[in-house]
Amino acid sequence: MDLFAIREELSKSGVMICFTGPFSHSIIDEIGQAVRNHLSAENIAKAAVMDVFAAYIELAQNVKNYCATRTLPTGDQGSSIITIARKNGRYQVSSGNVVLREDIPPLLANIDSINALDPAGLKARYKEQMRKDRQPGALGAGLGLLDIARRSPEKLSYSVRDLDGKYAFFSLAATV
Amino acid sequence: MQPLDIAMTSTSPEIAYDAQTSTLRISGESYPENSFEFYDPVMRWLREAVAALDSLRLDIHVSYMNSSSTKCMLDLLDILEEASAKGFAASVLWRYDSENPRALDLAEEFQEEVTFEFNLVPQE
Repeated sequence: MDLFAIREELSKSGVMICFTGPFSHSIIDEIGQAVRNHLSAENIAKAAVMDVFAAYIELAQNVKNYCATRTLPTGDQGSSIITIARKNGRYQVSSGNVVLREDIPPLLANIDSINALDPAGLKARYKEQMRKDRQPGALGAGLGLLDIARRSPEKLSYSVRDLDGKYAFFSLAATV
Repeated sequence: MQPLDIAMTSTSPEIAYDAQTSTLRISGESYPENSFEFYDPVMRWLREAVAALDSLRLDIHVSYMNSSSTKCMLDLLDILEEASAKGFAASVLWRYDSENPRALDLAEEFQEEVTFEFNLVPQE
């Protein structure tokens, strides 16, 4: 395996930090600390550091929670990825993971509806969602993407790639 | 009142009740693996507290909260809001990072959700 080529590819895309494999809470925490240390060393405003960190935490915990509540391929086939990259003076945080095809339509509809909202609409939707009763068994509150959207000057972007059988690979990117 | 003393970790805040000052302190950062599970004992403690005590001050200094923690925080404030409607003396001291404009926005959004005393205190 040509690690040099992989590293060059990541570097060309501006990727500062990349993790691929199964997400655990401790890995999410460790990488999060690394993200913060790395950005703090670059002398960017504290609020900007926290926006990148928050987008990273929400995406990583979303992926981990999703994988915990679905039966997905195990081992390498089911491995997830998260990257933090520099992009035009901002930072792009992206996640990619295997999803059940049947979960895609509601997921995309949710993201499209979030992308259609202006800042006031996002705030109202956040409060409305925060007031909703928890879904039984849910690990999250359904607020993560709204939180990211509120921190982002750009729309959330996504792509879906079909995999064999009942699965697809879903990528989501946020610029903060 | 039962004591409440949860130690801080890198992803969850310290939560402790000081009976001398009737203050429940939450300080640190909050993005635990499972927020609902983490805050569940706090929720149960607070429900008992509003029944057993006359007053309580919630002193919050949390520099980062993930989205599911904000939901748990609202649930805690709701318990106080409901109790204060029945005469319980609830108050909140919300300490926010003065260098982070979003921290003040978040604090104000919580302030909008309650009718009892809710003070915003900037921290360096």
